[in-house]
Parts: sequence; structure tokens; C-alpha cells
Amino acid sequence: MTDLLLSQIRAGQESQFGTDEYVVNLGPQHPSTHGVLRLVVRLDGETVKETTPVLGYLHRSIEKICENRTYPQCITYTDRVDYVSAMSVNFAFAYAVEKLLGVEAPARAQWLRMIMVELQRIASHLLWMGSFGGDLGALTPLLYGMRERERIIDLFEMTCGQRLTYNYIRIGGVMIDILPEFVPKCRSFLDYFEKRVDEYESLLTYNPIFLERTKGVGVIAPEVGINCGVTGPALRGSGVSCDVRKKQPYLFYDQVKFEEALGTDGDCWSRYRVRMDEMVQSVSIIRQCLDRLEPGPVEAKLPPVLKVPAGTEVYSRIESSRGEMGVYLVGDGTAKPWKCKFRCASFNNVYVLDQLTRGWKLADIMAVLGSMDMIVPEVDR
Amino acid sequence: MGEKIVEGVGGALHWVYTLLRLSAWASILDTIVVAVVMFALVAVFVMFLVWMERKVSAHMQSRIGPNRVGPFGLFQTLADAIKLTTKEDVRPVHRDKIPYFIAPIVAFVATFMGLVVIPFDQGMVVQDLNVGILYVIAITGFTVVAILTAGWSSNNKYALLGGFRSAAQIVSYEIPLVMSLVPIIMVTGSLSLKSIVEYQHQAGYWFVFPQIVAFIIFLISATAEANRAPFDIPEAESELIGGFHTEYSGVKFAMFFLGEYIAMVVSASVATAVFLGGWLPVPFLAFLHLPGFVWFVLKILFMIYLIMAFRWTFPRLRVDQLMDFGWKVLIPLSILNILVSGAVILMLEKGN
Amino acid sequence: MTLDELKAKIDTDFKDQVLASAVSPQKELIVTVKSEFYLSLCSQLRDQSEYSFQHLSCLTAVDYPKENKITLVDHLWSYAHSHQVTVKVDLPRDNPKIPTVENIWKSANWLEREVYDLYGVTFEGHSDLRRIMMPEDYKKYPLRKDFSDDGFIIKPN
Repeated sequence: MTDLLLSQIRAGQESQFGTDEYVVNLGPQHPSTHGVLRLVVRLDGETVKETTPVLGYLHRSIEKICENRTYPQCITYTDRVDYVSAMSVNFAFAYAVEKLLGVEAPARAQWLRMIMVELQRIASHLLWMGSFGGDLGALTPLLYGMRERERIIDLFEMTCGQRLTYNYIRIGGVMIDILPEFVPKCRSFLDYFEKRVDEYESLLTYNPIFLERTKGVGVIAPEVGINCGVTGPALRGSGVSCDVRKKQPYLFYDQVKFEEALGTDGDCWSRYRVRMDEMVQSVSIIRQCLDRLEPGPVEAKLPPVLKVPAGTEVYSRIESSRGEMGVYLVGDGTAKPWKCKFRCASFNNVYVLDQLTRGWKLADIMAVLGSMDMIVPEVDR
Repeated sequence: MGEKIVEGVGGALHWVYTLLRLSAWASILDTIVVAVVMFALVAVFVMFLVWMERKVSAHMQSRIGPNRVGPFGLFQTLADAIKLTTKEDVRPVHRDKIPYFIAPIVAFVATFMGLVVIPFDQGMVVQDLNVGILYVIAITGFTVVAILTAGWSSNNKYALLGGFRSAAQIVSYEIPLVMSLVPIIMVTGSLSLKSIVEYQHQAGYWFVFPQIVAFIIFLISATAEANRAPFDIPEAESELIGGFHTEYSGVKFAMFFLGEYIAMVVSASVATAVFLGGWLPVPFLAFLHLPGFVWFVLKILFMIYLIMAFRWTFPRLRVDQLMDFGWKVLIPLSILNILVSGAVILMLEKGN
Repeated sequence: MTLDELKAKIDTDFKDQVLASAVSPQKELIVTVKSEFYLSLCSQLRDQSEYSFQHLSCLTAVDYPKENKITLVDHLWSYAHSHQVTVKVDLPRDNPKIPTVENIWKSANWLEREVYDLYGVTFEGHSDLRRIMMPEDYKKYPLRKDFSDDGFIIKPN
């Protein structure tokens, strides 16, 4: 038993009224902590007194590894930082290196990157919807989400040959141009998908049991959210406008029309609605990108060995499916980064879990954790 | 039709007894034969139900479900049963030995005993007790003991939590379960399931039409009694892994599993007998001239299909919300139902 | 505010506290502060309305063994004004200590734990300074440049 567990048990035994508080270990192997996250929960009957996340079960020292790899070699590792939205992390890293070098990818590559990142956002939110429903006991949306995800992954497989870890968005552009069949297949998927969102909404959104489980549960006040570093749909559920695509536009997000999905109450239901709205907005963004694709090169001309001048550094942020994904790179004149740090949204989003679940029930931990859309490889790297 | 089958089989059995010179033991042998036949039939039916659950859930989730083992995957459950019986029996070291062993047996036997009073056809009832409904409710309440015992004896915090939740849930939903049956008992004046079906035969209508509220309350409470979603807190996979049966494997787990399905069958049978007219044919399909027990089984399958559809549509209720619903919504509603039904009965009597 | 205006404002407001401030070619304002004024600079950057850096994006450290220093790097973002600043503090490599900014930005709680775990920087006043990624009883600081794990030996029973 670790010291943490022992100290929790002692705290429980010394509690003022001598009630039998007991400490339960949720995980690291658990069907619903979305990976190997361990939660040490101190319970009084069914009521949660304290939740302590224990991290590090998926720590693969990606940052240390990247210090020993050249910049293009690092891109494969970025896939594994968040394998559910691998395209976004690929792009975050490539964007950061492009800022360091001062190169810009050609226009067609930028449009293609936008299409891929938005498709990835839809795919990630579908997986989230499935696992969120599954945590609450509604097992059917998971299968529907997977059905749609298959079609998106088919598009990705057509483009770069991979289904989960793509290594597609490279420094200076993308790996390879899309096939001619991509555009009509993508358009037909978008038409098919728009109607499906209504199907999911009818299954979950106004279901009385779902509303009871998620309304008013896990409310993040806006100031608390900002102070605790929560970003992404989790913060937008509280009504804070924090979309990096609007605040610090990158790619061509300032040239396409889309609305930022904002919630009102800051509870699990608002976060759920924000993500469902984001899926619909992504469909519209992809349509606009497909309309504006022009033929052209997909890679910028770069030297064979990318050397970043010494003394340079950059912190570039993008809006990945979970929130703000930042990459901090320090260059030292060689082909390998001196320091590479991934600022992942899930790391901060998991931190607020303790504050949100005190005084609630054990089942609410699952609801809140699911609504934060947390991915453990992002937390541990 | 059912009477004729029972008489025919009974006659053949007694001829076998005289052949073997065992006529003195006839009544005991009868009981044993009935028990074995019921067990076999129920086992086969439950196997079919498990297959049905998998197929229903698959088609609701745009999947196919089992389709390899046997035609349409019908033998899948047989394969699963064989697997479960040949599995290693993993037992926690610090368990409470005797309760750990007894709990699955109690869970299975208690629910199985509920089948004794179900009238499958005109003469096809194992023992038509004149306190039929009372007996069924009392016996199926035994599952609380089994679940609590299982949770406690497993020496596992998750199992204990599952046991507590389940006990709270079953105890709270027993009350609306019984109270929703009271108006029908008031009308028929009898607790025996066979006489309730006969009353519906004579009255010409099924009780579901005047007592639709009671039917819905009964359906919801029966789902809760069988620990099925959306009331499956005790076995909430995503929270407590397995709930009270976390530490059970192999045949013991199979007995809990079987017990859950048999509880579903018993509740569906009671609902069919009381509300849906038992072995009576569906009015506009009466031209098919099917035997009574076939109608009974079809109605049970319809009820079970409803219960299964609930599982794959709704999310799970939290424990305190579940209790709120049971105590603050269902019980007042069922009391109101009794009052209104009583008033209507009085008015109709006075009118006559 | 544009970056140059922000730089000028910081230079005037914190004249003696800031060691250097520059706008990098990547269009980021990088401010290096003396370690004794780190806490006050951070709290003023959050509280003063012209700055209002409410959001601590990232808190990390960079190891420079040749210059014998570990640099603590904070990235701050303001939702109100949509500008970003990078605050750096140089710490001696032998015994790096710095006051915690946990009471200013709660997100620093875990971020500083990570820096403690991987670099060995001690944050004075931190409520819960424990290792976060590595096991509780791990002795080394993995992200330092002189880290070597002596191989990972699993002893057979």
C-alpha cells in the first residue's frame, strides 16, 4: 500500500464523528476511467469526501524521448500523446516548429490540415459521446458513435494509410495529397452525419434519466475554471469564450464562418451540449474548406536536415478536441529540440475533479469525469 | 388444451409407475418429475432468452449479434454455459466460506420457486396456491438476502457497496410492486393467479385496459426487482465492475446470471397472468386456434422484449434518484390508484 | 495592447525587478525576472486590469547544465485582452528553490508538482509537493540533462 493510501485511511479513521469512512481505489484497471487513471476516493457511505487522482500509470517519457529525436522524428511521438485526436497533436507540433523556423505551409496544405483537424474533432467527440453514455449506463450511443467514426477513419485511411496514429501532418505541410475520391466521399459523409446528430440528441439530450444524472452535477464556476487552467469545451460549458480558433486564429480559421459553442450552466449537461454543437459546427467548417480547396503544392521546400537556430523558443497553442494544446519548444542550433513540452488540456481538466465531486455521490464522479473528456495519455505523456 | 396435455402425460407416467411397481410412491415421484421437467424447460427457455437479449441489443445498436454457433447463433448460450461450467472457480482467500457458497444457490432457488404458481394454461400449473400472488412476491424477495450475503462474504468493498445498494433498491420497489396488484385483487377477490385469469376470461376483457397505471407501475417495479437497467446499480459495470458478483466466477456466477433471468421470467409471467389475460388468446388473432400455453409464452416474450428494450435505451439512475423515484413517485401513484379503483368498484356495485 | 506596448508597460512598471525583456522573432514577449520578485510580479500580472493574465497556460522548466542553471518558464494568457507573456526565472542548478504561485493560479498546483518531480525544483509554500508521474519513492529527476537510470533491473524472486 502506498503512503498516500495509508494516510487517507488514517484520515478517515481520525474523522471527528467516528463514522466509518472508507477508501476505495477506482482503477487503474477500470472500465470507465478511460484508461489507466487511478482515483483514490474517500467515501462516507455513498458520499464522496475527497478524490485524489494518482497519475503516472501511462507515463512514457515522451518529452524526454523527443529531446533525442530530430524534429520530423518527433511527429510520430505526437500521435501517441493523444491517440484519439492524433491529427490535432501532429498539427500542434508541426505548427510550433514552423513558427520556430519561420516557414509557412502552402495554402492547399493549410486547407487540408483544417479538414483533417476538423474531421478528427468530430471523430474524437463521437468517441467521447459513446464513452460518456456508457459511463452513465446508456450503452447504445457508443455503438452509434463507432459506426460514424468508422466512416471518418475510412477517409483517413484513404489518405494516409493509418486508422489511429496518422503521422500525416508534417513540418511544412502534409505528407501526401488527398486522392480525388476523398472530396465526394467526404461530402457524402457530411450529409449523412448531419442527420445523425439529431438521432443521438433524441436518444440522450432530453432523456429524463440523463437530465437527472447530468443537470446541476459538476458545476464549474467560470472564475474557478479559468484559475484552475480548465480549457476547451469544459470551460465553454460555463459560458467563457475561450476557443483558440477565435482568439488566436491559425490556419485559415479567420476566413471561415463558424460559431463558438457556449454553454450556460457549467454543469455536465452544458458540456455535453457544447460538444454536440461543436460537431455540427465542424461539419460546416469542413464544407467551407472543401469548397475552397485549390490545386497546389502540399509541402513547403525545407532543407533535408531541419536545424533550428540556437536561443530560439516558441509556445504555440491550438484548439484540440479537448481544449488548449500547447507545444513549448526550445531550439539549440542542432536538429533535435533542447526542450519539448506538451501542454495538454486533460492534465488541467482532471485537476478540478476533486473540487467538483466533494459532497456528491460515487456515481457522479463517473458523470463528471466523462463530461470532462479526459484522455489518460494526455495526462501522463 | 393444456388440461388435456397434462392429463395425458400424467396418465402415461402413472402407467410407467405401475410397470415399475412404484405406484405407492406416485405422489412423490410426480413431484420429482414435475420439478425436473420444469427445471429443464426453464433452463432451455432461459438459454433462448439470453440469445434473444443479445440479438435484440445487437439490432438496436446496428450490429448483428451472435450468428456463428448454430443457425442464427441459437446455440451461443449453450456454448457460454459450457464455458462457464468448465471455468476455474476463483475464490477470494479471505471470504466468508459458507455464506459465499450459499448465496448463489439461494439467488437461483428463490427465483425458481416463484414459478410454482404460474398458470401456463387451463390445467397447467404446478400448484395453484390460493395465496399465489403473496407467495410469489414473498419468495422473490429472497433475492435480497442472497445479494447481501454475496456482497458481504466476498470480502470486497465494491461487492459490499453493490450489496447495500441492491438491498435498498429491492426493498423500496417491493412496495409499489405489491400495491399495483391490489386493485386487481380487490376486483377478483382472490389471490390465486389461476382465478384471476379465469375472471378475465369471464369478464371478457384483460385487466390491463382499466388498470393501465397499475400495469406501468408493475412493469417499472419488476425491472427494478430484477436489477435490470435502468435500475442496475448493483451491477453497474462502469462503476463497481461487477457489484455484488465481482468475486464470483464459473458456475456460481452462472447461477446469479440465471437467477436474474428467471426473476425476469417470473415477473413477466405474473404480469401476463394478472394484466394480459394469461393463456387467453389475443382477441383479434383468436382465429389461429393456438393452444393456451403458446399464447402465454408469446405474451411473456412481449413483456421481456419491453424489459430488454429499456436496458439498451436508458442511462442508469443514480442510487438516491432511484430511491426518490420509488418512494416519492411510484408509491403515491399506486396508493392513488388503489383509492380510485376502490371508489370505482363501489360505484359500480351500488349501481347494480 | 500590442506586444511592444506591453513590453514598454512591463519595463516601466517593474523596472528593477525585470532582468531582461524582449519580443522574440516568433512574436512572443519573454520577460526574465529576478527570483526574489517572481511572486510579486506574477500576482500583479494577474490582478492588474491592464494585464489580467488570468490563465496560466503552462509552467515548465528548462535545464541548461553548461550555464549551470535551471530556468523556470511560465506562459500566461489574458482572456480579457488576448495577449500572452512568457515569464522566466533562472535558478541555480544545485538547489533550485522558488516560491510557489499556487495561490495565484490554482493550476500551478499540479504543474509545479510535475516540475518538482522531473527537475527537482523545490517550490516553497506548496501545499502538497509530491511526485506526480514517477513513483513516490523514486530518487532521481528524469528530465535533467545528466539523468541516467542505470538500466532498469527487475530482480527475480
